[in-house]
Amino acid sequence: MTVQLTYIELATLMKSGAGVTVDPQLMATQPASTFAAYGLDSLGLLGIVGELENRFGRPLPPNAEQCKTPGDFLDLVNNNLTAGA
Amino acid sequence: MSSAHNPAWSERRSVVTGIGVVAPNGIGTDAFWKATKEGISVLDKVTREGCEQLPLKIAGEVRGFDPATVIEERFLVQTDRFTHFAMAAAGLALDDARLPELRDGGQGGGAVSPFAIGVVTAAGSGGGEFGQRELQRLWGQGSRYVGPYQSIAWFYAASTGQISIRGGFKGPCGVVASDEAGGLDALAHAARNIRRGTDAVVVGACEAPLAPYSVVCQLGYDDLSRSSDPDRAYLPFTSSACGFVPAEGGAMLVVEEESAARARGARVRARVAGHAATFTGAAEWQRSREGLSNAIRGALADAECAPQEIDVIFADALGMPLADRAEALAIGDALGAHARSVPVTAPKTGTGRAYCGAPVLDAAAAVLAMEHGVVPPTPGVLDVCHDLDLVTVCARPKELRTALVLSRGLMGSNSALVLRREESGSLW
Repeated sequence: MTVQLTYIELATLMKSGAGVTVDPQLMATQPASTFAAYGLDSLGLLGIVGELENRFGRPLPPNAEQCKTPGDFLDLVNNNLTAGA
Repeated sequence: MSSAHNPAWSERRSVVTGIGVVAPNGIGTDAFWKATKEGISVLDKVTREGCEQLPLKIAGEVRGFDPATVIEERFLVQTDRFTHFAMAAAGLALDDARLPELRDGGQGGGAVSPFAIGVVTAAGSGGGEFGQRELQRLWGQGSRYVGPYQSIAWFYAASTGQISIRGGFKGPCGVVASDEAGGLDALAHAARNIRRGTDAVVVGACEAPLAPYSVVCQLGYDDLSRSSDPDRAYLPFTSSACGFVPAEGGAMLVVEEESAARARGARVRARVAGHAATFTGAAEWQRSREGLSNAIRGALADAECAPQEIDVIFADALGMPLADRAEALAIGDALGAHARSVPVTAPKTGTGRAYCGAPVLDAAAAVLAMEHGVVPPTPGVLDVCHDLDLVTVCARPKELRTALVLSRGLMGSNSALVLRREESGSLW
């Protein structure tokens, strides 16, 4: 079974890594709202990428930290996980 | 800029309209002033985790400070304790100043342009606690486990940046890294920015040097007191002087251009009247006599203030015999006969020295002393062995119109700041 990153896990990472509280259901219903609109800056996303790379034990694509929205980020991460499984 | 009040460059004077304090002896101006006026010492055993076995035994810790109650969670996670202090103190100072709301993106709303307000802080050591945690991850787990916020949280300029971001202040911002005396240099820098056209500056310094990593960095200072007795650890100007006790915390002020402050009916608490700084080298306390006396002369000249106009001196009071002697002689060199009759005080013997935060706390105390007409005492100090009228044991009532604040850094910087009492423009 392939592990998939969920909005709930993303919200948890945003809170632990950057102190940003976001309702995961809100993100799920508005996947095109930007990280910036949720208060997550580029350093915050970089930290989440690093945390996921440590967790999965392999690098994410180099453009992962360039993602502007939670929807794009989950698509990229989960496609990468599926492709690498 | 407020177009209605646009005095010439040379007439743009800086006044203090807000004070925010996060100090070992009190959070908030009222608690700080009460403890300062009463000469209460809060020096105590270092209780921070990881410091138990270190040779530094006594410090001035800020206890009972819960940053989560005063700043948003993202700042808690992304910044160091020294920035938590600075943001809390800035918030208190801004509340005190009652600055009007900012215009949102220049599109109306508030009365003040975000470009009219700047931020200046001084920092001596940056974010040691945050840095220690990330360094432990680096050497314990590897570079991939170091969080990206380390890149900004440890940095000397972090507090300036975060206060600017939080408040939306887009005027001139800066950080002064000029040693402990930088706390006074930051106030001078703010006054320069105001002379150049900025309406208001949030300015000051807060430090958090009591994480184990930060304490270890200070153990190389011969001037750091190793005493384990809080009543004996920091006794400047006495024959028992054995070094200084470090502290955390500090103060932030709101400094404004005087005519704009008066026009909006602000409470004008004091004027930043004059400043000068000199440098005489590290571990050269004898030479600081010349440096400090020249700083005092320069600050008096800048303020157009005669020596006999100085009503109270807030001393640097380092607590090493050579340094104390140099300061006492410097005051005599600069003030002449007046040096023997002007009251001198060092409230920091009750709190410890918060590095760059220390002289800003003294500046805050000087403003409060002028407002209340009382010189706060020098806690714990009794037998003064220098030719100074050091105020000891209890506060001394005295009408105060002009205060001189002195500061020196361990690396050789010397600064002097003259503050003048101003009549308020509104009924308070």
